[in-house]
Amino acid sequence: MGARAPAAQTTGTIDVGVSSVRYDGFLPSAAASVSPALQWERPAGILTARGTYLRFESGHRSLQALVAGSFLIRPAEHRWRGELGGSLGASRYLDFASFWHATADARLLRLGADRGIWIGGTAGRTSYGRAARPVTGAGIGAWMQRSQVMVGGSATRSFVGDTAYSDVVATAHTRRGSLAIDASLGARFASRGGGRGVFGEASATIAVGERTVLFLAGGRYPTDPVSGSVAGRYVSGGVRLRLARPARLTTRTAMPSASRQGTPADGDPVVGVRLEVLPRPDGLVRLVLYVASMSAAGVELAGDFTDWQPLKLRRSAEGMWETVLAIPSGVHRLNVRIDGGGWIVPAGLTRAADDFGDEVGIMTVP
Amino acid sequence: MTARWSGPAFGLVAAMLVAGSAAAQRLDPRLERLDSSARPIVAALVDSARAAALPTEPLVQRALEGATKRAPAERIVAAVRRLALDLGHARDALGPTASPTELGAAAAALRAGAPPATLTELRRIRRESLTVPLAVLTDLVGSGVPVDSAAAAVLSLAAKARDADLVEFRRAVERDIALGAPPASATATAAAVAAAAVQVNAGARQQRPGRP
Repeated sequence: MGARAPAAQTTGTIDVGVSSVRYDGFLPSAAASVSPALQWERPAGILTARGTYLRFESGHRSLQALVAGSFLIRPAEHRWRGELGGSLGASRYLDFASFWHATADARLLRLGADRGIWIGGTAGRTSYGRAARPVTGAGIGAWMQRSQVMVGGSATRSFVGDTAYSDVVATAHTRRGSLAIDASLGARFASRGGGRGVFGEASATIAVGERTVLFLAGGRYPTDPVSGSVAGRYVSGGVRLRLARPARLTTRTAMPSASRQGTPADGDPVVGVRLEVLPRPDGLVRLVLYVASMSAAGVELAGDFTDWQPLKLRRSAEGMWETVLAIPSGVHRLNVRIDGGGWIVPAGLTRAADDFGDEVGIMTVP
Repeated sequence: MTARWSGPAFGLVAAMLVAGSAAAQRLDPRLERLDSSARPIVAALVDSARAAALPTEPLVQRALEGATKRAPAERIVAAVRRLALDLGHARDALGPTASPTELGAAAAALRAGAPPATLTELRRIRRESLTVPLAVLTDLVGSGVPVDSAAAAVLSLAAKARDADLVEFRRAVERDIALGAPPASATATAAAVAAAAVQVNAGARQQRPGRP
């Protein structure tokens, strides 16, 4: 293996959702939210900027912004690592409730192959429309991975001005294919001005495309005196959209196109055309192509399992085209075209440069 | 069989091969679809690959792909020649016992940028077929995962994981990338041995969506 360090990668997302929320001491309310986020990451560090615009059914608005970063200060080959982080955030509700906070964190981590522990501390300042108050805290935590489930736990003690509280939290994360589930359960105790009691949240996300994830979440979270969020219960649902496709490292220098003739889906084949590869128990493979354009009159597929002879797909439903073929196990190349247009790569396949100035889809049949 | 074929000498060698072997090897009828200027050179490349005990079907398919896409003859020839070289490099990396499907997958991985040493290491640590691990490696790189990260993740899993586990791992990476994780991070996180990745830098990682 080479020693080349991977370059930094930047991704952007935007969450759009609706919620039903009941903050402690307030009436229930529906709300709509938009949350853009930008994340820059290298193997040793990460920087995130995100904002949230929340509009309640009363017409009132809430704005939140956060910039947070964290960087490792020992190289990856050591099991013990130091980590320095910082968080700068602000929020505003109506014209009267404004928070800001600035905190720094230091943690010491011991990393194992499938488990680890950490101990750390936090210091900073926070303000609620008046003189800033000091923030200090200390915590300890551990995590462990077993098969498809990762569980973790942490205990923290925090001081925000005259407010003090302790939290213990257990978390679990699992995923299966495109579905992931997260859950947490915690308790606040030994509290002076920070509230107390049990809290817990759960969320599920499911990827429905290369850029789209649906989410459903709910639960109860405690007051956060640092960021100014008030304890509440909620149920939320929405969609997270990834704004840009990361650079595809297989793409070669652009060359003149050999086959491009232009189709409605051309230019961004990910949008509007998606292929699903479904191996059947009888050894055959069912290929289902979803085409957003309802006006498509004919869809063809060609690949190394058809000797690159165009094969017309059967229209099985509105916007759904399919065929069943005997495709041997292995890695295969294929393209599709709509109404005799240019050969394109549908979403659902890995795209690679095809040696002919276009792109080809890569499909693996186990 | 590699360096000798590159450069202008290739055309001469190919022409000689055409003359010498045309009678001995019947032309694959599928190659009739090629332009008359590409057909004899591709046929010669196929014959030479056969003589070198390399799989020939991928070469025929690459030529047919070019024909279907109406690529110019010289580009089809160049693509077939490049694939023949990749197949040779793949066999060098995987050894003489590699199956044709493994060689095809390895050639794609090399073309995506995987180092030959990674292929050799995969052969060393995995008893089962390498076809799916190599396909997953190629897929990851095609999804934007840096080659080093993809190779490290596949190598960490390949010794014990079944093909189905590797396909599941690939889906998990795809899902996290869709969720907004940078591809390198998504790959490290999805590899079971790198579970710590979601705990390190936890304060700055992107939140799970949902809380208002």
